[in-house]
Amino acid sequence: MPQLKTRMPFRKTLFIILPLALVCCLLVIFYGGRGQPSESTSYTIADSMGDWGYPSPYTHYSRGPGYVRMSLIFETLVWKDDSDFVPALAKDWEYIEAENAYIFELHDDVTWHDGTNFTAEDVAFTFEYTKQHPYQWVDSSLVESAEATDEYTVKLYLSQPYAPFFQDVVGTQPIIPKHIWQYVTEPEKFTDAQAVIGTGPYTLADYSQEHGTYLYNAYSDYYLGKPAVDELKFVKISEAMIPSALEQGLVNAGDVPPEIVSELEEAGLTIITAPHAWNAKLMINHQKEPLSSKQFRQALAYAIDREELVQITQRGHALAGSPGMMPPTSDWYYPDTPQYEYDPARAKQLLEGLNYTLENDYFTKDGEELELELIAAAEFEEVGQFVKDQLEAAGIKIDFSTLEAKTVDAKVEAWDFDLSIYGHGGLYEPSVLHKVIVEKSFNSARYDSNQTLSQLLEAQLSEMDAEERKELVWQIQEIYAEDLPALTLYYPHWYWAHDGSVSLYYTMDGMASGIPIPLNRLAFVK
Amino acid sequence: MRNVITYVIAFLFILTLNFLLPRMLPGDPLMAIYGNEALIAMTPELKAHLVERFALDQPLWQQFGAYLLALVQGDLGHSYYYNSPVSSIVLGRLPWTLLLVGTALIISTLSGIVLGIESGWRRGSRRDKSLLTSLMAVSGFPDFFLGILLLIGFSVTWKIFPLSGAITPYSGLSGAALVLDVLHHLFLPATALTLSYIGASYLLTRNTMVTVLKNPYILMAKAKGLPDRVVRYQHAGRNALLPVITQTGIQLGRMVTGALFVEIVFAYPGLGYLTYEALLARDYPVLQGVLLIVAVSVLIANFLVDLSYSKLDPRIRYAH
Amino acid sequence: MHINPKQEIRHSKFAMFGIGMLLFLLIIAIFGPLLTPYQPNSQTPFAFESPSFNHWLGTNHVGQDILSQLIYGARTSLLVGFLTALLATILSAIIGTSTALAGGLYDKIVMRIVDAFIVIPAIIVIILVAAYLKPNLLVLILLLALLGWQGGARTIRAQALSLKEMGHISAARSFGASNLYIIFRHILPDLVPILLMGFIYGVRRAVFMEAGLAFLGIADPTTVSWGMMMHEALDFCYLNVWRWWLIPPGVALSLTILSVTGIGHTLEGALDPRLRREANA
Repeated sequence: MPQLKTRMPFRKTLFIILPLALVCCLLVIFYGGRGQPSESTSYTIADSMGDWGYPSPYTHYSRGPGYVRMSLIFETLVWKDDSDFVPALAKDWEYIEAENAYIFELHDDVTWHDGTNFTAEDVAFTFEYTKQHPYQWVDSSLVESAEATDEYTVKLYLSQPYAPFFQDVVGTQPIIPKHIWQYVTEPEKFTDAQAVIGTGPYTLADYSQEHGTYLYNAYSDYYLGKPAVDELKFVKISEAMIPSALEQGLVNAGDVPPEIVSELEEAGLTIITAPHAWNAKLMINHQKEPLSSKQFRQALAYAIDREELVQITQRGHALAGSPGMMPPTSDWYYPDTPQYEYDPARAKQLLEGLNYTLENDYFTKDGEELELELIAAAEFEEVGQFVKDQLEAAGIKIDFSTLEAKTVDAKVEAWDFDLSIYGHGGLYEPSVLHKVIVEKSFNSARYDSNQTLSQLLEAQLSEMDAEERKELVWQIQEIYAEDLPALTLYYPHWYWAHDGSVSLYYTMDGMASGIPIPLNRLAFVK
Repeated sequence: MRNVITYVIAFLFILTLNFLLPRMLPGDPLMAIYGNEALIAMTPELKAHLVERFALDQPLWQQFGAYLLALVQGDLGHSYYYNSPVSSIVLGRLPWTLLLVGTALIISTLSGIVLGIESGWRRGSRRDKSLLTSLMAVSGFPDFFLGILLLIGFSVTWKIFPLSGAITPYSGLSGAALVLDVLHHLFLPATALTLSYIGASYLLTRNTMVTVLKNPYILMAKAKGLPDRVVRYQHAGRNALLPVITQTGIQLGRMVTGALFVEIVFAYPGLGYLTYEALLARDYPVLQGVLLIVAVSVLIANFLVDLSYSKLDPRIRYAH
Repeated sequence: MHINPKQEIRHSKFAMFGIGMLLFLLIIAIFGPLLTPYQPNSQTPFAFESPSFNHWLGTNHVGQDILSQLIYGARTSLLVGFLTALLATILSAIIGTSTALAGGLYDKIVMRIVDAFIVIPAIIVIILVAAYLKPNLLVLILLLALLGWQGGARTIRAQALSLKEMGHISAARSFGASNLYIIFRHILPDLVPILLMGFIYGVRRAVFMEAGLAFLGIADPTTVSWGMMMHEALDFCYLNVWRWWLIPPGVALSLTILSVTGIGHTLEGALDPRLRREANA
């Protein structure tokens, strides 16, 4: 058979090439994935996304978990534990009102991971450096100038009185070593070993982007003493698998869905609950008829049963929204915020007051049927469906469609919508109210037609007295809930489960400028 | 060569699609090219730089030129989500997909061939019928559903296999233990993929066997009194091989896309899972880069198979 | 080449199973709204209920009745499957016969394009387009059909070419019959088995792809479909609900694909075995 002969080489080569390629793949993988042997205390944290960027200030992804991974290596001047601000690189501080400046006394026994001494120069350098290269989480214009008055004292001049200065600036800004970063001109591309030299309790031993894993070793010369946990690992496990991984003891901690909480508790795991700092809200186009009418917006609020919404779309694992935006569990919550308890009859009344008449099932005005467009990203599909059902039951016809998240953002930004659903966090600190009520971005209500409200929002930012500020924040909630430029629908419950070997806790007002993740580095130190 | 032109057209189509899609959408094309994450990272200088680089202020054909030029230089774009070049992200994930697809391809083809020979040898026998029914049934299952069944059964319920990933991170393993660890993670995804593709090579071998068995040289071999097994594998089986192996090449494309779904189920860190993450994060540069790479690799694989096939079997050239 | 597909199918248990199953699904899909006591989209506070007399397959994460969703999912799958396959088959018939009869430059150019599309991995193109456009059902059907006619067109062209040379067609032509007349009177009837097979495989492909896209989460989320159900259920597979939420749509999808495969496989066996390779590609 002559045919057979010509076929042979092709077949043979295939049979040789394929296994060879496999072996090569294995080699590449093994070479890249060699780990270190471990015999000391080790703590493993599960994360469903895994990769949050190289844990250096300019390369971590600009989301909470990215900051958390960086904050194990880099420290701030002050930090927070579960109840208060605590000293970090600064051991003491003082506000000088006349100069609108802070003086920070620094620890004198801090060393960078490469052995160099940490001094006030590094702090002054950091704030200068951020003038040219702003750090993604801190508004660098808030610090006018930074001055090292002696080796371990630094003075920061504020450009304006700013109430949440600790929360948003000195409690968030990571301090970077001058002797390394002064030569760095493109910090976003600085990803070598020098870029992760900080003062924190941990040093980076490995980071793998494709596996989404991080390995940290304790820094033995840490100024608060060698951390209790020798080795920290972050591993990637898909969201639905984290409960199993916790039960099987493959990981020590991870965030878990509410439905599994009781089962995990029975299995002996510790559950911790996050404060409510995230809200989903109904965005309302208050620039456009008929939504520009306050009464109309209030009718919407009466027509949507937020308790029922929580029961159905969140299976009860959330807190019903307060029209004043600050959650009822917050210290800043105004107890007399108008609540708009579910009352379809009241909604009908209000609409009739606006000359709408109920014909058949829907309201009409001048012979035209009242119909509103509701758009939302796919993640809010269930919530959107619920809102549609309720508003239609109240006589307002809704055309609901889910769009790609970016398209929703773009349409909302261009005021090309009637109603939309959107969520954001940061409800720890009232400064967020300014951001999401008057500032000009798509996630803000951009509501500036109420002068009093706008002035109050400005005033609370610069009010340095806590009690006075609280008074202002209460007034804001009252007016905001009265005007309803947007309506908070719910605050979800978030849970973490851990095995108790380290006492994890949620940081007061969130880590740094408000990260609702219970991985405060101090928990691993003591 | 006709074939070359065909593949050039296909290649150009994919390039054009990749180029046009983000630019046809309403809104800022820069945002569509770079995704949500760019919103945060974008400074005016960077924006000006990018507009210049993509020639976004130029007519469309000049933009296409700029796009091609960047591609020729191996520049697949920059992901603002990962803050690194797309090409390096893709390269990091590539070995895992190759490992998964390679394993599944080899196992499904080899076992498909053996089962096909056994089945086709006695067509209509009870063994043939039960094999045919069970393999057709298995290949009716979508690959991701097979994966889910395996995951829930073996990992969640019985806890025999790992829940996700490709290796145990920082386990401190090395040498043989590490190989075992990788194989342990590989087993379920590779099984899911193998099961859903075994049907194709099995059916083809079986059908080819039926034709081959009619040839006089088989009768001849049988008449010589050779043992059944020798006739089955050395005479008949061998001749049924070529179409199957060629088919395997053509299957490669479907296999790679199948791996895409299976990787998502097992959170296996290959190109498929990368695609899924990019979809979630709206990371368009990575999405485009991965899909371009996969499409082009499939094209190249098909092309090589076509080439060798027509060289090996002159009948093919006339059949066109 | 006259064969009798009916007889072939009647003799194959596999095909009979396929036809029975498909008919069953069709009936369910058509009469779905009458069969289900619940709207598939209506939310209730009774989430994650186990199967009971009221909810035969329990409820999902927003208290929707899973059985109702399963039945409406059959509508989506079959609608996408049949419409896509129909469009693709019509396209392939038009292009296949026209290129065979017209020949010349038209034939050359079109077949070049067809060749190119055959080697492009369709699912990748669809993922890319869907990621940008988030298509609704209609757009998805058009998209799938546009990427799904090429293989069939080539098979039909080959068949039409061989038919063209046959006696009764040359005879008709010598009597002055027009091209259109020849296509409808002589060629199309002879192509029916091939068209049918192309259609069947088109259904399988479209059902599979729709489920895959929904599983990836890039289909229209307001349309209930089996892939979407699996996509949602997978997020909750740490709970026991996967037994009645994740498995049923998977099994339904697999059975659909299986029954279509059964019909196709039998038809294919009845047809010229040389066509086998083309149809698989």
